[in-house]
Amino acid sequence: MGEIRRLLPPHEVRSDPQSAERMRERGFDQALATIWAMNPETVIEWVTASGIKGRGGAAFPTGIKWTSVRQAPGEIKYVVMNADESELGTFKDRVLLEQDPLGALTGLLIAAYAVGARKAFCYIRGEYREVEQALANALETLRQGDWLRGVDVEIRRGAGAYIAGEETALFNSIEGKRPEPRVKPPFPTVKGLWSSPTLIQNVETLANVAVLFAHDVSWFTQYGTPKTPGTKLVALSGHIRRAGVYEVPFGVPLADIVSDPDLGGQVAGSGRLGAVLLGGAAGTFLTPEEVMNHHLDYESLQALGASIGSGAMMFFDDTVDLGWVVARLARFFAEESCGQCVPCRIGTRRLLEIVEAKQWESRVHDVRALAQAMRDASICGLGQTAPLALLSFIERPQLRPHA
Amino acid sequence: MDTEGVQEVAGLLKDLPAERGQLLPALWRVVEHYHALTPALIGAVSEVLGVAYAEVYGVASFYTLFDNIEGTTPVHICTDVMCALQGAEELKAWAEQAAAGLPITVKESACLGQCDHAPAAWIGQKILRRATPQVVQEAVKAVHHG
Ligand SMILES: Cc1cc2nc3c(=O)[nH]c(=O)nc-3n(C[C@H](O)[C@H](O)[C@H](O)COP(=O)(O)O)c2cc1C
Ligand code: SF4
Ligand code: FES
Repeated sequence: MGEIRRLLPPHEVRSDPQSAERMRERGFDQALATIWAMNPETVIEWVTASGIKGRGGAAFPTGIKWTSVRQAPGEIKYVVMNADESELGTFKDRVLLEQDPLGALTGLLIAAYAVGARKAFCYIRGEYREVEQALANALETLRQGDWLRGVDVEIRRGAGAYIAGEETALFNSIEGKRPEPRVKPPFPTVKGLWSSPTLIQNVETLANVAVLFAHDVSWFTQYGTPKTPGTKLVALSGHIRRAGVYEVPFGVPLADIVSDPDLGGQVAGSGRLGAVLLGGAAGTFLTPEEVMNHHLDYESLQALGASIGSGAMMFFDDTVDLGWVVARLARFFAEESCGQCVPCRIGTRRLLEIVEAKQWESRVHDVRALAQAMRDASICGLGQTAPLALLSFIERPQLRPHA
Repeated sequence: MDTEGVQEVAGLLKDLPAERGQLLPALWRVVEHYHALTPALIGAVSEVLGVAYAEVYGVASFYTLFDNIEGTTPVHICTDVMCALQGAEELKAWAEQAAAGLPITVKESACLGQCDHAPAAWIGQKILRRATPQVVQEAVKAVHHG
């Protein structure tokens, strides 16, 4: 089926991505006019009916989150765009903000209107300085075009901490505290920034909201699967001819993403696929056969114990030593663990030792026990999911060279 | 830090509300101006924002982008998985060669979110995509002169 461009601007859209003309060319001005004419409950009904799920990794139904924040008691509410994007192999939010920053910002304004927030934050990683500037320019366009309608939008720059992308750590970062995750519950929808109800969404989720209201629910659900309508950005990197970000409908065969001339355009390097790491550093290694036989949807991938995660697809040809990759991932988690909880602080260290000693076969029981303890007893997603890529590697002996 | 130094930091932060929530933006301003966060500067921020020294220190020390060696400018070479596949280690060696004898620190970075243009580097506020040894060496020298 090839590439679809809805979140990414279609190729014929030529206006300056940061301009008022772009607002009109993309229909985002109409989207705002549409929601301002609705009551907030109706806005949320649309989001719920569209079936949009969070694109930051957890795929939580967006409409449910909006309802919770709207209904949560509290005078002051906040909305946050999460543009921290620091997961290995993940660069879709960067490309989206480069090509269409007004989309995600429009989604943020719609979110603010729907949940009743007057204050919004865009939290962007500190290494994305050029993107931050694009976002600032786009925000200025919104201000001058009188599209903000009293919502105060502030851009906050991260400073190099992977964990700050976790939603509650991000709140602490904005509040001027150490970006360490908080224990949940209470959930952000009830107690987020400064203990007020807070809606936090990924950049791509907000871009989905903007295109939804630039059209309507039936337009939105034309693509995708009944359970997961819409399109997904996938970020292809490594041994693939056309590395980059592409927009595809949910349910597309992974094989198409690899070989369609408008998408991946075939495996590069040796030309023979060794494995795909799907979803990021805490993702799942898939064998070439699994890639050929599965689709980009949650149900199909669940059978493999995999998830779409952020949409990262990292390609490795058959010459790459995946043991080295697994060791690099283990080191990353050991370094990025904030150290608050023991299972994660100690567990990420132990896993690193095991992996560096290449003892994944002899100590497979230790790995499984550690993974279980980390999943059950870590405060946040980092500790809970850090062992996943290693486990998927262990479970697939065909990914290891048998010397 | 002497009163004058604190005054200078206060001037730098004068349009920020003096509150805890402005700590991260305040630290960014100070780092961009002085290229480092010395204990004296942390003390000045603490005084200007009215946040305890230990708290400011605890926050500042959490973030890798604030972890600069005093008197040197950092340059970042991504050595994470996707860039490593495309020769990042070699690139780092070239950067170190160019930086030799200059007040520049070459730092290894985790994924910079540019894997579609690997190998990537981040030098002097600019992202370098598909970085070659030559481009990196030139950028390192430009940081020194700039
Ligand atoms: C360690 C860690 C890092 C995360 N980093 C990001 C990130 O950079 N961007 C993001 O959108 N979500 C990130 N998340 C997920 C957020 O906590 C949160 O679920 C997300 O922002 C919600 O938005 P969504 O529902 O639109 O996906 C991270 C989670 C964890 C555990
Ligand atoms: S799981 Fe790890 S990263 Fe998350 S809060 Fe605990 S120690 Fe910190
Ligand atoms: S691994 Fe280097 S930019 Fe992603």
